[in-house]
Amino acid sequence: MKKRSHSLAAGARRSESFKSWLIMLPGLILMTFFVWEPLLESVRMSLYKTENIELVKFIGLKNFISVMGKANFTQALVNTFAYTFWSLLIGFVLPIALAMLIGETVRGKGLFRTAAYLPNMLPGLAVIILWSAFFSGEKSGVLNILLGKLGIPTQTYLTRSNLVIPIIISIATWKGAGATALIYMAAMASVNPELYEAAAIDGASVWQRVIHILLPSIKKLAGTLLILQIISVFQIMYEPMVLTKGGPDNASLSLMQLMWQYAFGGSMDYGKASAVAVIVTVILLGMTAVYSYFNNKESDWD
Amino acid sequence: MKKWSKAMALLLVMCLLIAGCGTEKQAEQPAEPTEAPQLSEELQGELDAFSSEVIDADLTCTITLGNWPPDTAAASELALFEGYKATMAKQYPNVTLVPDYYSYSLSNYVPMAKGGTAPSIFQPPFTDPQLLISQHLVGDVTDALAACGALDKFSPSYVEMLADQNGRIYGLPRDGYVLGMHINIELFREAGLMTEEGLPKYPTTLQELAEYGQIIREKTGKAGLVFPASETYGGWLFTNIAWNFGCVGENALEYQDADGRWVCNFTSPQAIAAMEYIRDLKWKYDILNADATTTDWAGAHSALGTGEAAMNFAADDSVDQPTANKGLPLEDFALIPFPAGPEGRYALAGGTCYMFSPDITPEQATALMAYLKILGKLPFLDEDIIAGMRADYAAKKDRGAPVLPAISAWNDEEYNNTKQAIIQEYCNVDMRLYNDFFDSVSEGTITLKAEEPVFAQQLYRELTAVIQRVITREGADITKAMTQAQESFQEYLDDEINS
Repeated sequence: MKKRSHSLAAGARRSESFKSWLIMLPGLILMTFFVWEPLLESVRMSLYKTENIELVKFIGLKNFISVMGKANFTQALVNTFAYTFWSLLIGFVLPIALAMLIGETVRGKGLFRTAAYLPNMLPGLAVIILWSAFFSGEKSGVLNILLGKLGIPTQTYLTRSNLVIPIIISIATWKGAGATALIYMAAMASVNPELYEAAAIDGASVWQRVIHILLPSIKKLAGTLLILQIISVFQIMYEPMVLTKGGPDNASLSLMQLMWQYAFGGSMDYGKASAVAVIVTVILLGMTAVYSYFNNKESDWD
Repeated sequence: MKKWSKAMALLLVMCLLIAGCGTEKQAEQPAEPTEAPQLSEELQGELDAFSSEVIDADLTCTITLGNWPPDTAAASELALFEGYKATMAKQYPNVTLVPDYYSYSLSNYVPMAKGGTAPSIFQPPFTDPQLLISQHLVGDVTDALAACGALDKFSPSYVEMLADQNGRIYGLPRDGYVLGMHINIELFREAGLMTEEGLPKYPTTLQELAEYGQIIREKTGKAGLVFPASETYGGWLFTNIAWNFGCVGENALEYQDADGRWVCNFTSPQAIAAMEYIRDLKWKYDILNADATTTDWAGAHSALGTGEAAMNFAADDSVDQPTANKGLPLEDFALIPFPAGPEGRYALAGGTCYMFSPDITPEQATALMAYLKILGKLPFLDEDIIAGMRADYAAKKDRGAPVLPAISAWNDEEYNNTKQAIIQEYCNVDMRLYNDFFDSVSEGTITLKAEEPVFAQQLYRELTAVIQRVITREGADITKAMTQAQESFQEYLDDEINS
């Protein structure tokens, strides 16, 4: 009897397991064909000399050595880290501040929420074209017209090496901050209001409530969004491609744009393009691993 | 509330379904114009002149036609292409034509060719055929060209450009172009740079270009010269300037040495002098547009057409850009020869060709030759070809683009003379504003030169980066920048062609 019930339980487990796999199957198929296969193919391609997308000859790490030995790679790598730095400086705190401000709003909260999210609904290219008119260095540039009203002479913006990356990040933040703020607002709304009430009774100021209640409550979420932001900004491509085309003198060239140049910029060197893609993936995997390590360590301390 | 949500969800699903169905149809075939376009009698007459006799009822295939004008194109252009399509349907009733908005670029073509979705015919520039042929990305049309008799009329330079090592041909020339300079006469007038005959007093040398540009800047506040220095455009224009500073022959930007090795040379005194000239345009004469490093080819035409700049290095095949497309009146537009430099007077000669998808069948190749014949692009003369040419120029005139003498890509005197006679008939401009340009080409007072022979796009990219450095940093070390670019490009040549 015991034996029978044991085999029944095992059968039920097998059936459960089969169902689980069945549920996962569509996802696995999609992941295999659209994520893992291209990823592995890209790694394979990076080790070959290519003729358009055909693999011609195995050349080991030659593509990597060639790509990394060039000045534009170093420049693109430095630029990509600069994009990430500016994105953290401009784009990380702003959505939190925005979420806090909208969260504290008593009237017209829906209106502010919609207004903050609106830029995210605009097509990316349209946003870039819109801002290129704003930052145009001609007299007809919107910013120059505004500064002209204050008596400031015409300036150039997108042709200045030291300004292009902060400008591009500001535009990306303008577009994306509202969406991130909505996620923070959802997290902030889930904080138990009794904590605020208790703190208020104890005489805590607004600032103290933010520091001691609000920020700790969204810390985990902020950590996840931080790593997602780094991954996303590290792959920045269309913004500099449309706004500055990587210039001036490669000052806004990103790694992904460099990859595009190898593949489609006239030489059709897919092997070297794949090498750049693999390097980007390795860097991102490294960063994610570091984040996970510290995150896990912190969880252990908790 | 629930009902409202359900209704919204249903509406959304319906919208998605309708959009989904619509997208597929739209991608395959451009929609028919909803209203009959208003055409001039002249153009309508030319469209009606096509023969409607059946030429080959047995030829059965489907061809996809790249470069079909978008729905937003001028009515005359749309009518012209619909006319071609209708004529083809009458003459070859079993050939199905599928219009495709596809416009060629190397980046979008490769995946399409490898994926089997490239249009049957498309139009790359003269810089790309050898790359496409060497990578087996285009179809062989030698037999179809021979069958229709066009092969004998190829000039040897085009055979070299469009053939593989075995002499098989993969395309045919569409038009040639010569680089010169577009002029916005209104700004020249404002700056007082006009002759007694009321023509623009234009620069004949690069030095005059700098000086006149400075006068224009001072008198009008607008840029004397729009210089597209983004991506590869800056390097492309720089090569022509460098030739005029003496970067030819033993001082060429790239050449093959005695051992057959490709070598680049960006550090000759001539190349450095040419780059110093670019520096002076920005920092000494201040005649360049403010955002040169982000300006591309289209942006440069836009700047000239909208009066933001007075001069633009551009060719005779793009005269419709600032005029018909950007609204510059024809009487305010001129085309002049490329200004001479201290060491020479060269002008870049290039062009556009027709090439074909790699999986093209013999039937498709035959049908495409018939289509090109209707377009008037094959070097023969019969009623249909003449009708095709006439309709083409009538459509140009109709939409306000300058109808100018063509720089023919074919070696057939009768064909070229007939074409020029038709052009003259439809000419809609004061030819005094163009004569010097065309005379310089026909009389040989300017030397025509093809683009740098190998990996031109890569070379342009390297030089564009130097130009960007030079025009954004006043104290940039030109020799150092040119040396770095030379080393980088030489490494590329060694990797790609010398190894």
